[in-house]
Amino acid sequence: MTGTLPPDTTPDPRDEIVTHLPALRAFARGLSGDMSAADDLVQETVLKAWTKFGQYNAGTNLRAWLFTILRNTYLSKRRKQSREVSDGEGLFAARMASKPDHDGRLALQELTAAMKLLPIEQREALILVGAMGFSIEEAAETCNCAPGTIKSRANRARKALAEMLYLEKGENPESTDKSVAMVMAGAPNGF
Amino acid sequence: MSIMSGKRNGSKKDIAPAVSRQIDENLKRLYTDTTSEELPKSLTDLLEALRQQDAQKKAGKQ
Repeated sequence: MTGTLPPDTTPDPRDEIVTHLPALRAFARGLSGDMSAADDLVQETVLKAWTKFGQYNAGTNLRAWLFTILRNTYLSKRRKQSREVSDGEGLFAARMASKPDHDGRLALQELTAAMKLLPIEQREALILVGAMGFSIEEAAETCNCAPGTIKSRANRARKALAEMLYLEKGENPESTDKSVAMVMAGAPNGF
Repeated sequence: MSIMSGKRNGSKKDIAPAVSRQIDENLKRLYTDTTSEELPKSLTDLLEALRQQDAQKKAGKQ
């Protein structure tokens, strides 16, 4: 075990794992809300994926497979810690939200704080669908639930964030984003 | 509080599409920052170690 072997040049399907690492890190940060915990989580995911790679069906969605491993790792850790997510302090932090600026950009710190207050099922659904660009079906595959469930969880998450960050009810009168301004002016809700 | 009430109301009254888009755009900003970062050394080291380990196993079998 001297580690002096020349690097293997034959293509290994596992090499594709590395292309998903940035997105996995992003997902891990979103789930855990903590940078170093997120990187630990990605490390564990890589280890598991590498050693369980035989269980991956070549040609199926590798990204969803990896995200599922990360998600399950996070959930089992969380169960062990049995930590309660919603806390008064976090709610306070989220409630300190400043108004979005003229581009409708929210202060990311406050968005992070608000995200942490969401139930985990809603949070993961919204990260996957809203931020990571997963299709409803891919997110459903990742979270092992029905597409309709993902859709309603993501919508509930958006609604909760909108309330926490005062994005509705005319609490953001200085927004110049026309579409948002219309909403603020009392455009009817609903899709 | 508000989160709870959001939960109870279910999906009857969805938020406006514009607000929904605003949230998604900001979430993208929040999480895609990570994707442009360089990977931490601990992670690239781990992958390298796993590759080496396999290469050695393979070499051992041959």
